[in-house]
Amino acid sequence: MDNKQLESKVMERIKSGQVKLRSRYIFLAEKLGLGSVFVLNVLFAVLFFSLMLFYLRASDNLFYLSFGSLGLFAFLESFPYLLVVSLIIFILVAGLIIKKSDISYQKPFGYLALGLLAFILLSGTVLTFTSIAEKIQARSVGFAPMEKIFRPFGNNDLREGNRGVAGRVIEVGARYVLIQTPQSILKLNLVDSFSNPPEVGQFVVVVGEMINNEFNAQMIRQVNESEMQMIRNSVHRRFGPLDSETLEKGRMIKACFDDCPRLKLPPKDCKEKCLESQSQF
Amino acid sequence: MAKNVLTDEQLVAAVRSSNSELYSEIIKRYQEKLSHYLKKFIRDNDELEDVLQSVFIKAYKNLNSFNIHKKFSSWIYRIAHNEAINYLKKNYKYGLSLDEWEYDVIDEKLDFSKDLDRELTRERINQALASIKPKYQEPLVLFFFEQKTYEEISEILHLPINTVGTLIARGKQNLKKFLDQEKYG
Repeated sequence: MDNKQLESKVMERIKSGQVKLRSRYIFLAEKLGLGSVFVLNVLFAVLFFSLMLFYLRASDNLFYLSFGSLGLFAFLESFPYLLVVSLIIFILVAGLIIKKSDISYQKPFGYLALGLLAFILLSGTVLTFTSIAEKIQARSVGFAPMEKIFRPFGNNDLREGNRGVAGRVIEVGARYVLIQTPQSILKLNLVDSFSNPPEVGQFVVVVGEMINNEFNAQMIRQVNESEMQMIRNSVHRRFGPLDSETLEKGRMIKACFDDCPRLKLPPKDCKEKCLESQSQF
Repeated sequence: MAKNVLTDEQLVAAVRSSNSELYSEIIKRYQEKLSHYLKKFIRDNDELEDVLQSVFIKAYKNLNSFNIHKKFSSWIYRIAHNEAINYLKKNYKYGLSLDEWEYDVIDEKLDFSKDLDRELTRERINQALASIKPKYQEPLVLFFFEQKTYEEISEILHLPINTVGTLIARGKQNLKKFLDQEKYG
């Protein structure tokens, strides 16, 4: 190969302006952009890990495990998959950025990844001791753009499950219990008679099976409301404090439910009708 | 100051501050070296020239991304390495070709051909180098034939220095094992 020829070919293209230096600002912007994406990913991972810990601590999710195998499905049903999957995605993206960066080859990637993971887990745990997660959960019902972002992670996992529910007792009957859940008022049909039935105003975690919008309760456990902060806050937000007015509403809704068979309303329509009419009571 | 007394990094700084003419000096300094390195992977001369040209053009375009406090030679070798990998991926032409003196380097390092026919040794070295995995092949080539240090290889291949040491040691073992198997049947 002719050395001169290659040199002149390249230099010709440079001189003619066909080949130009890329601006240093482009490289700077690339670096800053990548750096920002990395920092944002790590911050979100920390926040989501903290939200996950808060959810496990303050929702009904872990309580279901105390029922043994009966509560396993309820636990799986109410597990915060969206939070966990998002957390994993944030960690993976942050790891990918490290792997692609110039520093990753100087140290074994395994150490860097381990350091990143330790940082996220530690910071997330520390953040759980602040009130940030609680505030985010409380705000996730709002309509501001930032509040909407967190909505799927805040209250979505508090929906009524088919195998387990949690809420505040507003009426106790012979074979039933009426509870307020974060979503609605639910009638629990008692499969067995319980030696220690719950009292009005108490928070309960229940396992069993949802059939036609009524819940056949197999086991009920009373829970201190401070141990189930998320459920308590959501119920309070939706129904307000437990006063005579709320109790009266509950009774009216119960009567509405009881009236459905007479009106031959299908369960879904019955629930819709009774819950819609609660505002009129 | 005469351009031939400037260091690579000083030349790059001058090219970046609008003296693009000086880039020809960089081409002069690296054309032979990079051509020698790329020859390991690209046998066809025309294709080699195309790849080499694209290395110098890429290097020029991205000159502003080069950190002036680092070694320029490692940076441009990295570009050449990436171009060679891209070429191999596109053309599925894996394998190495060595210069005359490079067989002696292997021979000397592995002390293999004392009692063997020289021609036969060359053929076997070629087979052995082609048979080992690229992850061992690349650091071996840079270490044996381009006389790069572990640190430079680490910068070129983007691997931790310890890993470079391990890969070279294992590559040598694999090479020796292959050649011994051939030798003793």
